[in-house]
Amino acid sequence: MSDNRSQLVGVAVQGSIVSPQCPALPASPYIIGADGAPVLLPPPGGIVYNVAIGDPAFGWVADMVQPGVSIAAPGGANPALRGLACIGNEAIVVSGRARGERGTVTGKSGRFAEHVIVHFEPLVLDSMALGDQVLVRAIGRGLALSDAAEVQLKSISPALLDALEVQSGESGELVVRVMAEVPAVLMGAGSGLTSEAGCVQIQTDDPAGISEHGLDGLRLGDVVMLKDFDCRWGNGFVQAAATIGIVVHGDSVRGGHGPGVTPIITATGGRIRSQLVADRNIADLLGLRTAVGTPK
Amino acid sequence: MLRTNAPQLVEFAVHGRVWPARGDNSDYRTTSNGRGATHVGMAGICFTHRVGDPAFGWEADHLEPGVSIRHPDDGDEHALHYLACIGNEAVVTSGACAGARGTVTGEHAHVLVDFPPAEIEMLAVGDEILIRSIGTGLKLLDHPDVMTHKLSPRLLEALDLQVNAAGTLEAGVVAEIPSHLMGSGAELTADYVDQDFMTGDRDQIAELGLDRVRLGDIVAVRDEDHGWGRGFHPGAVTIGLIIHGDSAWTGHGPGVLDLLSSRSGAIVPHLQPGQNIALGLGLRTSEELSTHQPGAHVSSYATRV
Repeated sequence: MSDNRSQLVGVAVQGSIVSPQCPALPASPYIIGADGAPVLLPPPGGIVYNVAIGDPAFGWVADMVQPGVSIAAPGGANPALRGLACIGNEAIVVSGRARGERGTVTGKSGRFAEHVIVHFEPLVLDSMALGDQVLVRAIGRGLALSDAAEVQLKSISPALLDALEVQSGESGELVVRVMAEVPAVLMGAGSGLTSEAGCVQIQTDDPAGISEHGLDGLRLGDVVMLKDFDCRWGNGFVQAAATIGIVVHGDSVRGGHGPGVTPIITATGGRIRSQLVADRNIADLLGLRTAVGTPK
Repeated sequence: MLRTNAPQLVEFAVHGRVWPARGDNSDYRTTSNGRGATHVGMAGICFTHRVGDPAFGWEADHLEPGVSIRHPDDGDEHALHYLACIGNEAVVTSGACAGARGTVTGEHAHVLVDFPPAEIEMLAVGDEILIRSIGTGLKLLDHPDVMTHKLSPRLLEALDLQVNAAGTLEAGVVAEIPSHLMGSGAELTADYVDQDFMTGDRDQIAELGLDRVRLGDIVAVRDEDHGWGRGFHPGAVTIGLIIHGDSAWTGHGPGVLDLLSSRSGAIVPHLQPGQNIALGLGLRTSEELSTHQPGAHVSSYATRV
């Protein structure tokens, strides 16, 4: 399928590795689970050493764990960083002991975290510090398929589009291979918010429903389809809409929360069709890890 | 007789100011159909609409009826947001209308207060309004699995909850909203502002008759637990209040403010037309409400996807 990548403009956006954030005293340090239980858990952000793209999205003792490194920029630069960085973009460390090391953008987190999530090799993580500057060579904004004008692409680099190998179906619909399909009733936090710079979460306060839809085996980096969900100009329910997204962060104990999905392809009116496959993860597709799926 | 801990609750003052409608140098928001649009709706003093009017059909986005207040100091502002309860009394304490009395009818980007129009003709942006806050911590003693949010004893009485033969609490509601329509606000806790029901699929909204709801209507959302967070939980029930009007934005629509929620489904809704706080709290008459009929107008943005 042809696209307009030859017309795209690559620009630098930059952020620094954020510290995990907790409320200042005398505020309670706890987050409250869906059942009312207060818990103190590592919040999203920072440098995460032992959870990487390709690892399970469930089971970690953390709130919405973001694999690898999370970056943000001060003030108005953060919306630019979050808006322009695309999944699959190259990231380069430009300060500190890891200067010159290269990584890959794997996702963006939603309201109240608002980070860009970047994968680096474990040895690189060992030489990084909070506050280190990471530059993203942002390219992908405005990417469009020549023969599918009503299908919108978002936060997706040309490299990831190539790796997905999307195809045209018999009725002209876009066919995308995914790991799982998520019913709209499970879409929670992030509904009503921007579809350009964050994620929308698969809520997990119904464990039976989660396993019924095969979602309990999700991994960070999995390609999924959100059914009846329109992410063209914000995130929300519309029958026969569909959105392809990448699982970018882990589960949460909060009501309405769970693994986050950054939208990358979206359309209404049945223009996107999913094809369920056993394995579809950007760690494989972008060559970030080998042997994804083997237990750690 | 519904036993509560109301005699143990503490009544105290929180405050805010009539807050101006604000804009910036690029005030377009994108509609769910991909158009740039500027709509009035939030903040300031709304002269044309009060609680009890239809929630749909206006050329407005997130219409806040009546008077919208907030406080510039962060601590005061959050006290106002968390502690003002629906049905609390409000008093104007500065300006030409000092002494005018109103009623809290919602909590959104601002706390929403309804006044009899004749009492606030000279109300100005910046005027101070004090809320006599009571309701936080209200418990239904014989129904421990039902939580309350922002429910004043006055509104609890107006809701006229009944206990059925099986001993289960019942609430009269004008409509039930399916959980898959619950949108913006899932990222917040159940004690902070509201959650919109999503109206982007106009066909489905019309099929369900949800485009008939009014500001101030009591509604139910099944399979949603809004105890601490806001999320899908099969068997749970949440009873809420429509506080603001429809929206052109994806994932948005009229706001549902949580009043009662039970994770185990220990409160059951039944349909009861006319269950609206404008009537229940004696703020307006049914004759007044009949001057604006739901469905009389369709917002220009409410087109099919």
